Amino acid sequence: MVNKKIISIVLGIMCLALTMGICIQMKTVKKYSTAEGQNYDQNNLRAEVLKYREKYENTLKEIEKIDDELEKNIEEATNQNADLEDARNQIQQGNKLIGTTEVTGPGVIIKLADSEIESSKVLDPSLLVVHDLDIFYIINELKNAGAEAISVNEQRIVSTTAIECGGNIITVNGEKIGSPFTIKAIGLPENLVNLDRTGGYLEKMREAGLTADLKKSNNVTIPKYSGIINYKYAKSIN
Amino acid sequence: MVVFAIIIGCLLGAIIGMNAPTISYTYSSYLAIAIIAALDSVFGGIASVINKKFDIKIFISGFFGNAVLAILLTILGEKLNVDIYLAAIVVFVWRMFMNLGTIRRYYVEKWTNRVKEMHKNKPEQKENITVADEKQT
Repeated sequence: MVNKKIISIVLGIMCLALTMGICIQMKTVKKYSTAEGQNYDQNNLRAEVLKYREKYENTLKEIEKIDDELEKNIEEATNQNADLEDARNQIQQGNKLIGTTEVTGPGVIIKLADSEIESSKVLDPSLLVVHDLDIFYIINELKNAGAEAISVNEQRIVSTTAIECGGNIITVNGEKIGSPFTIKAIGLPENLVNLDRTGGYLEKMREAGLTADLKKSNNVTIPKYSGIINYKYAKSIN
Repeated sequence: MVVFAIIIGCLLGAIIGMNAPTISYTYSSYLAIAIIAALDSVFGGIASVINKKFDIKIFISGFFGNAVLAILLTILGEKLNVDIYLAAIVVFVWRMFMNLGTIRRYYVEKWTNRVKEMHKNKPEQKENITVADEKQT
């Protein structure tokens, strides 16, 4: 009888571990694979891409950790020396200006998306998608309205940002992004809202069948620029 | 008792697994082969309980040993660019079917024995009834 008890306990624990593993595996597979591939090569390629993406994400996390450490070190160094306090403030101010720190404040959130009309039903399907120039134009208008920080799909717009067309996607800062687009901007919301004026660009886009919504928000968070700004040729004149 | 333990273990495992965080995709192929190995061990354990040859030491060492060996083989196969895990899957699934066969045979025999006994009992009852009827007549 005691023997049977032990047997059932051991078998129960093993079954627990087994079903736990199966559930975790199922969740993992569900999370990473959007659609099953047709053949072996495709699946292999997809697995490869996923592995690289994971490596990329891990590296990004490491960079973030190192950044935190740097900040901590700066803080520690300046805490003991009052003279360095000024320098630290200057660094922070500079980082904010060039876009290498996360910023938050009041502003607007614009949502753009491709039209839902089927592309085979119209003469020119290119009218149904959001183009790089649309985003370029909106960013330009936002800057004109006094936006202090702008991001497109979590990509910060900095002085070296290029927005280009890449077929059915758009590249911003070298990162591929696709519809729907979320443009966030920090600035005086009353000014930025004027982008949605009658006869404005957003209304024109809506008339063309695209989705273009503008929302005021008191709490817009814009991520920092994760790349490197490196000036090789421009030298300052003393 | 054993069946209850298995069911409770499966239910608890499913609940914990649903709420557990996902693992990274790189390791999911290793987890998959480990799951197959563990599944084989559990079926083997059930079959040996039925055969009354169950040994906890063998069972636990098989559970972990098979899983670890399968994972190591998968890693080796990845390094050598040979899909060794396919061989592991074939062996595990084959053994699973063997064990499942043992379990199935045990229960089928048990069932047929019971049906036979019922058949044995039934004609006797009928005879008794007929005898009783004759007595009444």
